[in-house]
Amino acid sequence: LRELSIGYEGLDRVDGSARFGFGWSFTGSAAALSSISGPIEVRLAAENPSQATFEVLLRPLSNVPGTESKALASTIRNLLTPSIILTQNPRTLVQLVVQALIPAEKFYSPLVASIINASTLALMNAGSIPMRGIVCAVSVGRFRSNIMPTSSLILDPSDDELSSLQGIGCFAFLFGTGQTGGSEVVWSNWQSSISFSEEELIKARDLARGGAEKVWIGMKQSVGRVG
Amino acid sequence: MTDNASIFQRLHPKVYFERFVSANVRPDGRHFDAWRDVSANVGSVSTADGSALIRLGETTIVCGVKAEIAEPELDRPGEGFLVPNLDLPAICSPKFKPGPPTEEAQVLSDRLNEALIASDIVSLSSLCIHPGKAVWVLYVDATCINYNGNAFDAALMAMVAALKNTQLPKATFDEEYGQAICSRKTKVPLQITRTPISMSFGIFDSARIIADPTSFEEPLLDTNVSVVVDEQGDLISVTQLGLSSSGPVDTLTHCIAAAKKRRSDLEKQSFI
Repeated sequence: LRELSIGYEGLDRVDGSARFGFGWSFTGSAAALSSISGPIEVRLAAENPSQATFEVLLRPLSNVPGTESKALASTIRNLLTPSIILTQNPRTLVQLVVQALIPAEKFYSPLVASIINASTLALMNAGSIPMRGIVCAVSVGRFRSNIMPTSSLILDPSDDELSSLQGIGCFAFLFGTGQTGGSEVVWSNWQSSISFSEEELIKARDLARGGAEKVWIGMKQSVGRVG
Repeated sequence: MTDNASIFQRLHPKVYFERFVSANVRPDGRHFDAWRDVSANVGSVSTADGSALIRLGETTIVCGVKAEIAEPELDRPGEGFLVPNLDLPAICSPKFKPGPPTEEAQVLSDRLNEALIASDIVSLSSLCIHPGKAVWVLYVDATCINYNGNAFDAALMAMVAALKNTQLPKATFDEEYGQAICSRKTKVPLQITRTPISMSFGIFDSARIIADPTSFEEPLLDTNVSVVVDEQGDLISVTQLGLSSSGPVDTLTHCIAAAKKRRSDLEKQSFI
């Protein structure tokens, strides 16, 4: 796992904001900036009488947000919803706006993991939305070298490792619920250009769970550092 | 005259569904891991280079493939383009209003694109006519004409069947004129490397795994799992969105096993 860089931006016009990146500097690593506003006024069309409406807007660094941004925003909404208690504030809006900080023609797994982690940190930074748990995400890559006969899994592949990977996936875990403080998978997305077996998927998930725990610990430490 | 059961279904959908689930059956009479019947009609659209109509229960998707010649991208001179798109117009369901594509249509189009690219169904380099000058662009357009849940599985099946049905005119590049010339008489079928088919599941109440949800069941399920399997029974992609089930069997294990079995059952169909 690369060194995590976490920062709480303190953006003026929103309730909470945070930056998250895999890698020691925010440039040259998979990094994202996200902001949360809520509970705020909601459009009449989007109003829900029993719970708050959760809206996610995602912007890439360059270009107009296209279909891919919409699809990923929808996914992030679905995976963060189990972690926040929306029924506490009905008829309101919780708006999450995420900005990718690195130029990428496609939202690849480490960037998606950063986006999810930055969103969770922004939710914590805002403090105005009751939460059930913390969602931490990390990406796993499948790597086959010419020397070793079987493929191996690597946690949080860096940019130069990405080109030699044959399969990649992102796993997100919800920490905080459950008696033992264990984590439950809220999102896993695994695809590979050559076939993979189920055992490999389970191994990748377990590897990701360990990585996500480290992200969780990093997040807890960053909160301790804040004023 | 609508009977009391359908009124109850409209007013309290979740309780209505729970009553069926506790009796180990679904409102349409299926068991939790039963799939709806699939019927297909391939090659019926004569104006398209390839077409297919797939009916998954009542969900009906028409897909057409049109080929065009274009210049390739500068950094990928030997690759053609595959452009899939799914449209969910107002005709297919009262929940879609007329106007620009809804978020659901955009999300499904993106997922279909990911599934087709990840499976490498058509090698993009086989679409090259002349490197750097002319390549084929395949527009794979699917339209839903009746929506009863699980549009993703049906659309992917329709796209795969349409691509299998596609025949491209034989194209040569004329150096003198700097243009690609297509033959009117000779047609070459498209080279398909793998046939991905997806199987989608939903999880109800964190416990029951429901296969192939209908449009009534879909909003009640809080977790979705999609498994894409090719003709060899190999996994292409596995996606889970939402919390896992709390039962004794691991969610992904159960879904992958069910998907593989379903894929081998579908192998007997002629269109895939």
